[in-house]
Amino acid sequence: MPVDGVAAPATVEMSLGPDGALAIRLGGVWRLAADTPGVARVEEELASGPPRRVTVDLGAVTTWDTALVVFLSRLASLCRDRGVDLERSRVPGGLDRLLLLAQQPVSPPEPRAGPPALLERVGERTLSLRDRAADTAAFVGFTALAMGRFVLRRARYRAADLGLLVQGAGPDALPIVALVNLLVGIILAFVGITQLRRFGADHYVAEVVGIAVVRDMGALITAVVLAGRSGAAYAAQIASMQVTQEVDALRTLGISPVEFLVVPRVVALTLMMPFLTLFADAVGVLGGAAVGTTMLHQALAAYLRQTAASLTAGDVMGGLVKGATYGALVAVAGTLRGMQAERSSEQVGRAATQAVVTGITLIIGACGFFQYLFFLFGW
Amino acid sequence: MRVAEDVIRARGLTLAFGDRVVLAGLDFAVRRGEVFVVMGGSGSGKSTLLRHLVGLQEPAAGQVFYGSENFTLASAPDRERILRRVGVLYQGSALWTALTLAENVALPLQQFTELGPERIREVVEFKLALVGLHGFEEYYPWELSGGMQKRAGLARAVALDPEILLIDEPSASLDPPTGRHLDRLISQLKEALGTTVVVVTHDVASILGIGTRALFLDAEEKRAVAEGPPAELRDRGPPQVRAFFGQAETGS
Repeated sequence: MPVDGVAAPATVEMSLGPDGALAIRLGGVWRLAADTPGVARVEEELASGPPRRVTVDLGAVTTWDTALVVFLSRLASLCRDRGVDLERSRVPGGLDRLLLLAQQPVSPPEPRAGPPALLERVGERTLSLRDRAADTAAFVGFTALAMGRFVLRRARYRAADLGLLVQGAGPDALPIVALVNLLVGIILAFVGITQLRRFGADHYVAEVVGIAVVRDMGALITAVVLAGRSGAAYAAQIASMQVTQEVDALRTLGISPVEFLVVPRVVALTLMMPFLTLFADAVGVLGGAAVGTTMLHQALAAYLRQTAASLTAGDVMGGLVKGATYGALVAVAGTLRGMQAERSSEQVGRAATQAVVTGITLIIGACGFFQYLFFLFGW
Repeated sequence: MRVAEDVIRARGLTLAFGDRVVLAGLDFAVRRGEVFVVMGGSGSGKSTLLRHLVGLQEPAAGQVFYGSENFTLASAPDRERILRRVGVLYQGSALWTALTLAENVALPLQQFTELGPERIREVVEFKLALVGLHGFEEYYPWELSGGMQKRAGLARAVALDPEILLIDEPSASLDPPTGRHLDRLISQLKEALGTTVVVVTHDVASILGIGTRALFLDAEEKRAVAEGPPAELRDRGPPQVRAFFGQAETGS
């Protein structure tokens, strides 16, 4: 089929005959690639005074595709609606078969309700919030139960998966965790030195950085990195498994998706976070030391001794406990958003976004809670 | 004259994943207006062949021609232009799940035609009516049954009135009546649109029902062992082809 969109555009000529018949002559190239006339003009003509009958002559049509078929199909339904007879002449072969195929009886679907009114939307949103809250509570509950079964070694999961997840969440995250925490250590030291200098106390920067990093920032920053890294990945993976019905396949096999998908991820992140936190602490302190040794000309050994002297084992342990908690929260947020996804590709992206947002919100919330708790008990 | 009516031609086509050869030395031609069936058991490389025909995978050796144009050696823009004349229905329908049926069918029209929104809506309604899905415009793919998804995929594949329609396993994962219904629909569309159809399938009923010519791929010999009208292959083909028809019929 030659594509000649420039030659002879599609034309519609109409004339009202003496016998009250509307004669329509179509000509030219009727192809989708070139815009073709619609039936609007014919509709006006029919509305202005219904003719006795309509005749369509297709003799002058040179090339055609669906564009012509759609025109004729619309014309036929216009005439049917107004009870006007339609006669076609010089119809190209094959075209009638297409028209007939398009008119095959179908069982019409239930009509869809239009977009709901504002009040209805507010109500629906509220109800869906409630449903989502119930969903979340159920998910957390099931996860807790499944964690129990995991501890009792009765959960169904693949050990190889767990191994890969541990590697993905832990060792693979080392470079980015190192980079981010090094920078945080440097920033803390800068801020510390410039502020402490006003009181002539800038030699206490090792204490400031050490305590800030080890007690809170190491775990917090690492958890935020993991929320963007592992949390989003968990959500995206489980959501795409929803699209391809892999989650359904687990369920019908009698394998709990919570045990199989959620528990290994929660275990992996909870297990790896303390190690990553410890690593982050060390790197953060080194970042501070880099600034301390260059700006204050302290000896590295002295800086580190000063840091060590300011910290207690409780400070370090507290940081690790926080890290483990954040890890669990990030994993739960990621897997929860993945499990909540519906079967559409758009939902995969939404799940990943929400996993990060939820994860970071939970981390910050938990951090605040820990501050209060540690303050209360004087830890 | 023969050359002119071949719409797709494969010359010495060898398909491989790295060093593992799946099929070697394929030579065949698809003629205008026919339903060309590529058949064979699982793992014979049927779907891989289809992926090579549309450039999703590159052949290890040999070439694919569309009409007189060499598709394998064509530049990226030329390939796009050639593929514009080809519609593909994937095994899993491959409808875009974030879009409604109407949006799925409308996308190629919006991208490759100058039609206004109103005309596009008309064309989309017509195409969906062709596959018996009039009224389902605003549905999302996952709200439909597997058979309906296949039909919607077909509507999208014929959105731009392709010259050639490539179909991967039309009846896979459908019950036999739904599969036959889809076969009938493909035949009707072919007749009405004058499309050339290439079907990849292992469904014997489907092969005998709609195929005008068939190519049998043998997984063990890693080549095409027979070519001809399906009924003839069933009755007088090489032993493994006759076995394929017999086994599949008693097995189903």
